[in-house]
Amino acid sequence: MDYAVDVKEQEATVRMSGRLTFNDHARMRTLIREMLQNDARRQVIDLANLEFVDSAGIGMLLIAREELSNVQKEFALRGAAGQVKRVFSVAQLGKLITLED
Amino acid sequence: MQSAWRWGRVFGRSDVADRSHGALDAGPDRVDRADDTDDTDDRPDLAGAPSVPVRQVIARWLAFADLMRRSFELLESEIDRASTLVETSTVDLSARFRDLAEVARDQSQRVEEIVGLAQFVTIDGEAVPLETVVTSMQDLINEMVNNIVLLSKKAMSMVYLLDDVQQDAIELEKSITDIDVINRQTNLLALNATIEAFRAGDAGRTFAVVANEVRHMSRTTDELAERMRARVGAVVKGVREGHEILRLIAETDMSPQMLAKERVDKTMESLVEQTALFQRVLSNTASSSEHISKNIGTMITGMQFQDYTKQKLEHVNDCLRVLDAALETLEIETRQVVPPTLQPEIPSAWIDQLLGRLTLSEVRQRFVRKLLLDGTALDAHGALDADVGHRDSARSSDDDEAGAVELF
Repeated sequence: MDYAVDVKEQEATVRMSGRLTFNDHARMRTLIREMLQNDARRQVIDLANLEFVDSAGIGMLLIAREELSNVQKEFALRGAAGQVKRVFSVAQLGKLITLED
Repeated sequence: MQSAWRWGRVFGRSDVADRSHGALDAGPDRVDRADDTDDTDDRPDLAGAPSVPVRQVIARWLAFADLMRRSFELLESEIDRASTLVETSTVDLSARFRDLAEVARDQSQRVEEIVGLAQFVTIDGEAVPLETVVTSMQDLINEMVNNIVLLSKKAMSMVYLLDDVQQDAIELEKSITDIDVINRQTNLLALNATIEAFRAGDAGRTFAVVANEVRHMSRTTDELAERMRARVGAVVKGVREGHEILRLIAETDMSPQMLAKERVDKTMESLVEQTALFQRVLSNTASSSEHISKNIGTMITGMQFQDYTKQKLEHVNDCLRVLDAALETLEIETRQVVPPTLQPEIPSAWIDQLLGRLTLSEVRQRFVRKLLLDGTALDAHGALDADVGHRDSARSSDDDEAGAVELF
């Protein structure tokens, strides 16, 4: 998995690509720290280019939401498609994280 | 020759025996012969001596009267037969239709039972509505998927936690190493202090005791550091192993199992749709069977036409009996006023015409028997029956016999 963070005044956008799996746990932790530390109140991960997510990936996204919620930051996932969208739908992730088209 | 004999027997004529088959159909020939016979037997008191054409007509009339009476009797019995046949067939058909209606009703009931059963699934002996089964299955799978999501999150939290513990353990190992360095320095300092104390002689004796104590403490600290290193090493090893096990658990991708929910949902949806389709088809079948049953009921009612037909045929028979009686009376009256020598004229053309209409061999045989053989010795010996039985072979093997039967 690769990512690039673009911090604007109100919103930080993380463009994620590749495959988000267990092997990315260290990198994901770094990303979470970055999101916690930047000034934007709202953090959005753009998943349009993410091809695949496994169950560990879902777990890590939920940890991100929890960590950001602890510091009163908004968190949303945007543009999920293909397998990622299907897994989100089956997992009813929309009940736990804000999902945007 | 046999058929000619029969003609003579039927009409009580002796001269008929001399006639050939061909003569029966030849009208003018018959007339001539009748005239020959009648000339000698003519009664003088016949109402002013009837002329030849009148006697001819009377002779033909008498033969017709005889044949017509026999025909009427036969028609009556044929009508009775037909009526009985219709009645028997109608009763039989009604019984069969009733059976059919009952089968259709049974079928309708059974199909309705199936329609009722199709909505339920038996689980542990309890009938559970299919919709409930589907909903509970979906709830179960949702719960399973939610658990997978929750466990994945917990597993990742644990991974991060063990990452931190590992980091802390490494820090701890570093700290122990730092203690070692400090301890070595302390030990060296204590050694130097002891040496300096010896150099100072008596003045340094007390200091030498302190320096010795410090060296002793340094050894104790070294032993403690060693024990801590061993313990921390064990903790780090345990954490690493735990981390490895957790990695194996957390990196097992459960997303295919989560996506299996899609398949299960589709299967359930298809199952419900298919069951609904079955129900619709079965319901239609049940109503079709019911419809058939009702229609058959209507048909059975419709078959009561037989009663009406029977009554009508009885009316026809009543009329025929009256006509028959009237004809007989008239025939007797005619015979009383004509000379006994006046022989009836054989209405062979009429007989041919009549029998020609009868295409049903069974009916034709009865007419032949009634009109031509009634009361004869041949009939009594069942000659006609034998004829009928071997009609086909007789036709080719015995021309005379076959001619007698197939003449008409």
